[in-house]
Amino acid sequence: MSTEREIAVDYLARVEGEGAMYLKLRGDEVLDLKFKIFEPPRFFEAFLRGRSFKEVPDITARICGICPVAYQMSSCAAMEDAAGVRVDGPIRALRRLLYCGEWIESHVLHLYFLHAPDFLGYESAVAMAHDHQAIVERGLRLKRLGNRIMTLLGGREIHPINVKVGGFYRTPTRRELAAMVPELEWALEAALATAEWVSAFSFPEFERDYEFVALRHEDEYAIHEGRVVSNRGLDIAVDEWPEHFEETHVAWSNALHAHIKERGAFHVGPMARYSLNSEQLTPVAKMAAETAGLGPVCRNPFRSIVVRAVETVLAVEEALRLIAEYEQPPSPSIAVDPRGAVGHGATEAPRGLLYHRYLVDDAGAITDAHIVPPTSQNQLSIEDDLKVYASGHAALGDDELRWQLEQAIRNYDPCISCATHFLDLTVDREP
Amino acid sequence: MTVKRMLIGLGNPFRSDDAAGLEVADRVRTIEAHRVMFGSYELIDLWEEADEVIIVDATRTGSPPGTVRQFDPLRAPLPLGTFTSTHAVGVAETIELARALRRLPASLVVYGIEAGDLTSGTALSPEVEEAVATVTREIDDA
Repeated sequence: MSTEREIAVDYLARVEGEGAMYLKLRGDEVLDLKFKIFEPPRFFEAFLRGRSFKEVPDITARICGICPVAYQMSSCAAMEDAAGVRVDGPIRALRRLLYCGEWIESHVLHLYFLHAPDFLGYESAVAMAHDHQAIVERGLRLKRLGNRIMTLLGGREIHPINVKVGGFYRTPTRRELAAMVPELEWALEAALATAEWVSAFSFPEFERDYEFVALRHEDEYAIHEGRVVSNRGLDIAVDEWPEHFEETHVAWSNALHAHIKERGAFHVGPMARYSLNSEQLTPVAKMAAETAGLGPVCRNPFRSIVVRAVETVLAVEEALRLIAEYEQPPSPSIAVDPRGAVGHGATEAPRGLLYHRYLVDDAGAITDAHIVPPTSQNQLSIEDDLKVYASGHAALGDDELRWQLEQAIRNYDPCISCATHFLDLTVDREP
Repeated sequence: MTVKRMLIGLGNPFRSDDAAGLEVADRVRTIEAHRVMFGSYELIDLWEEADEVIIVDATRTGSPPGTVRQFDPLRAPLPLGTFTSTHAVGVAETIELARALRRLPASLVVYGIEAGDLTSGTALSPEVEEAVATVTREIDDA
């Protein structure tokens, strides 16, 4: 008769927000597993009601201090969809550049400071920094570059204030952008070195057959525009999202669980984007992926750190291209007139697809808002990973198993503050 | 050679007493002051050009609101759980990272002002208001 045991993490470390994990095992059989999000609900969707459609990028940016740009971009896309306008040319390019800044800042923060310590056996980035000073300095400098892009285009590095429905309040000059080129050139080398560094970590043998969901764009590695596609045949316009996805509430999470209707769990984020769109990587990023031995598809969530490094290379490369091609537009934004309509918007936040839907009345007031952040979409996938991993590694002692399961959660770079619009881990083994 | 002094006030302006550090940054007259909403790694870059750095932040230790404590992180790490942040990285961790990277300023003093009310709002409670005035005067008179 095997013993039942409980393994719990009451307060997950190195994640954004407050959450927990609870696992109950009998032998290698998982009796209960919960990825718990106890950060309180934040009611953004409710207090958007009655506000002007123009306020939505500034209000939703407040949902997250790490990925405010994602909220601004998805909300602007939705409002422009509702108004029936399309933002193109240099303004569209600047949005992509701003988003590259956020990808760099967010990916580098997670990769260097939250995730790498797991692989190198340190309890924190501080402990790691004592032994790997030059590497940590490289991470800080890369992160600073991401912040610099966000500051120049967004007006400040956190919760940018320069984004509006229809474009920007002010666009940068060519000279202002060109001033970032030398640092971006350094960053391309540094991002390549980062990919090489993380690809040499040792990864648990663990793969799952995920349904990957991400945006796909015909001309580019999708970041801020595209159709919603999956590796199981999903290929829909963003406005068809509600027909294919649904959200349900479970008692142990203050974030709704998203499912694909009739199929269930799916996976969003860097690994999904990479696996669906790797043929569209920029040249140096493609080389980085090949050197790192990634292959066209990655199903090992522990290797998501390598994918984040490859996407960091891509973001730097794209930033250099966008700056080289930039011509300051005559006007920083296009006019957007409200009309009573529903608008849908989806962009690729660093952690995965971020979907927004708004109902707007003729006067431009929001009557209904619906925001589905990536972490909320990944909850089922995280729980499935934990179940499979725990069952396959039940022979491990409690401490070792707890550590590895926490790491399995950090694979997703979960942003719990977003998902509740905070995490703890418990493993319980029955006698 | 002139010694460059810098004050960094940390906090969230919309969480009542959490704004204590920001308030001090607003009020000091004799020192270059920065208001910072996130006590994160960026602080290391910010203080790079300064010789003497003073950080003011709210604390949550259970002491009476308005209690002022002074720490010298060059002697010992900040006590765990004193300065709180809802984000992945707080001021104590940033200081420890800087220590590991040998990028601490030559002089560093951290003032902690015990918060009472941390709910949504933009007003300081009276005890914290008084503590902010005291700390501001102490820094300006130094």
